[in-house]
Amino acid sequence: MSSMSPSERRLHKELMSLIKEPPPGVTVDTESVQQNLSEWKINIKGFEGTLYEGEDFQLLFKFNNKYPFDSPEVTFIGTNIPVHPHVYSNGHICLSILTEDWSPALSVQSVCLSIASMLSSCREKKRPPDNTLYVKTCNKNPKKTKWWYHDDSV
Amino acid sequence: MNETLLDLQLENAERLNISDEERVRAKAHFFVHCGQCSKLCNGKLRVRCALCKGGAFTVHRDPECWDDVLKPRRIRGHCESLEIACVDNEAGDLPFVEFYFKCAEHVSGGEKDFAAPLNLIKNNIKDVPCLACTDVSETVLVFPCASQHVTCLDCFRDYCRSRLSERQFMPHPDFGYTLPCPAGCEHSFIEEIHHFKLLSREEYERYQRFATEEYVLQAGGVLCPQPGCGMGLLVEPDCRKVTCQNGCGYVFCRSCLQGYHIGECLPEGAGEGAPNSCEYTVDPSRAAEARWDEASNVTIKVSTKPCPKCRTPTERDGGCMHMVCTRAGCGFEWCWVCQTEWTRDCMGAHWFG
Repeated sequence: MSSMSPSERRLHKELMSLIKEPPPGVTVDTESVQQNLSEWKINIKGFEGTLYEGEDFQLLFKFNNKYPFDSPEVTFIGTNIPVHPHVYSNGHICLSILTEDWSPALSVQSVCLSIASMLSSCREKKRPPDNTLYVKTCNKNPKKTKWWYHDDSV
Repeated sequence: MNETLLDLQLENAERLNISDEERVRAKAHFFVHCGQCSKLCNGKLRVRCALCKGGAFTVHRDPECWDDVLKPRRIRGHCESLEIACVDNEAGDLPFVEFYFKCAEHVSGGEKDFAAPLNLIKNNIKDVPCLACTDVSETVLVFPCASQHVTCLDCFRDYCRSRLSERQFMPHPDFGYTLPCPAGCEHSFIEEIHHFKLLSREEYERYQRFATEEYVLQAGGVLCPQPGCGMGLLVEPDCRKVTCQNGCGYVFCRSCLQGYHIGECLPEGAGEGAPNSCEYTVDPSRAAEARWDEASNVTIKVSTKPCPKCRTPTERDGGCMHMVCTRAGCGFEWCWVCQTEWTRDCMGAHWFG
């Protein structure tokens, strides 16, 4: 444990608490984490009573060695990318805490909760208006995108 | 004088509730950066008269907070250093005390051997986990924000390194080149920049260089664009021709940062002769690392100056400062030193260097 870097120690602790006391609808794919502590797959369920009820989604978290001073790279992966005005069809998410408003006081758990609440408050399932152009031209890493957070109601 | 001054870190209410056991644990409670040991050390607080600097001084009350210690003219006392006691003014008011710190880990080198107090570093008597790694460390840094966020020293170093490598330190008008609380709290800038001495020597030197550069840019100056130079230069606002004085001597155009030239600046990249109109684009940072001939380009940039008229890179291989452009159709006569047209003044001042 002592041979871990501060960044790895923090990730390890977050992982343990997420496995022991996961927030509702959130599960860590422990197999993926065992292979690589810096890439986590996390499953989240669409909450009951929302547009995403009954759907399962998967998030990929990538951490660099500056975590938690640098934000994790978070995208939806897999076959079911939620249809949502802030989620592009390639899995990129427009959410300010993932770039500009990131703080080391946030965590994997708080990011999952923000994403779950972003999904829950959605009133109409649709892609962002610039989806086609963005998906064609963007960098693979969503953190390289200069997001313009125009609306925080959904 | 209260020798241990445990209480300085604590609010009044906390002071009353502290147990004996915690008192022992919290005994070393001043941290300093010691130049001689070049590391974080335990420090000791010392007093002297603010007027005569004599050490024989009795304070009227103990300091109760960091402001009492770090800010001048807070606590008065009796100076007993000289035969005639110091007075603060003509009315005969008693003088103020001046506090300073010494390293407690090496034998004192006398009056001038003092150390910079690192007032944000504290013993973690409340067992607060680090904001970043969530470990509970013995020694922590408490940010000056309303929430008093805590990081361990390793994570503080990581935080500084990550911000330094992205040049994200901020120039603060009063404190200098500094950082706020990593959680992004308001009014949380680190006031005592000696805290950045916790970085390695190379990192601290980098911090200082960035800070100086930032100061130069803030003051409307420019940095010499010559590879390996980077000298900060303060120039008149309307001056376009800048000479790197006290540095490498390069003369350049303030607008385009290329070698000084007559006439308008060329658009970026135009001088390299590469057509820019293709549709295939690459990540510019990757492209910068992947240049076959980058080393030669740097050599050319360092060892040549452009003809001020046609901008042909020109190497001066001995001889006088009077240059005649050899490019067909140019033939401009110019001065290697001034990077403008050759004049009688150049002949008088620096014909042969």
